[in-house]
Amino acid sequence: MEVQEKDGITTITTDERLDAVVAPQLKDMVKKLAEEQKMKLIIDLAQTRFIDSSGCGALVASLRALLKNNGDMKIARPSPQAKTLFQLTRLHRVFEIFDDVEGARSSFKS
Amino acid sequence: MWREPDRPSSRDRKQKEGPTKGSPLNDRPLGYTSMEKDITIRIEAPADIVLLRPLDILVRNLVEQLLRTSHDKLLDELELAFNEAYTNIYRHAYPSEDKGKISLEIRIGPNELEFRFEDEGLNFDPERVAPPDFENPGEGGLGVWIIRQVMDEYDYSSDDKGRNILRLIKRFPAAE
Repeated sequence: MEVQEKDGITTITTDERLDAVVAPQLKDMVKKLAEEQKMKLIIDLAQTRFIDSSGCGALVASLRALLKNNGDMKIARPSPQAKTLFQLTRLHRVFEIFDDVEGARSSFKS
Repeated sequence: MWREPDRPSSRDRKQKEGPTKGSPLNDRPLGYTSMEKDITIRIEAPADIVLLRPLDILVRNLVEQLLRTSHDKLLDELELAFNEAYTNIYRHAYPSEDKGKISLEIRIGPNELEFRFEDEGLNFDPERVAPPDFENPGEGGLGVWIIRQVMDEYDYSSDDKGRNILRLIKRFPAAE
């Protein structure tokens, strides 16, 4: 996973798979960001071909951690597999999802 | 909140040409070659998380090659079901550091695919798994529910020798 920060917005680009192997790492990473008061987060899923329930759980935990501290999290560029799973689990109603990173960035400004 | 993509996806590739049976699956050409007879593959492995990805990829590749399909939805569903079942055994059947083994059988037949997982860890009652709370989503506990959504049969049992057996079946659409 790669972390970048620009104009007060942190972007985490996840790897090819967001599963039980890496879900704990993502949760820890976002918890640390919240502790550092980095409250605007974009999860860029462009490289993530496969996500499972553990990955979804880590995203829910991340969103909760940020909302609790008056922050927010947006999701950008989900794969067709990720979109299907978000719809199946109704998480598309919970997450703000964007087709590109710029759209996610702009939404923090509005 | 949800938006449909404007951009063409690299995964929206066309179905491969092939001796398809032509049965539609969600209005898309299925594009798979029906197996003439059952092929069964057995694997015995430690229930270690480091094997999750290699086995997951193996299962996807097996289906892709044996059925000569590039039907992403079918492959995604099988990969997801396998992944969730393996993760559940790793996490719940063997919750301690001392991991036991998983015996896995993959059977691909003319009309269906079956995953059979066997472990010697803690058993559970799938009927007592709470349904998902969509209004207040949690951080876990969706694995069994997801498997039931994407597979046609879910059968879990425990025998008197302490073995837990999970059988998952995905039926292919009937050939013409």
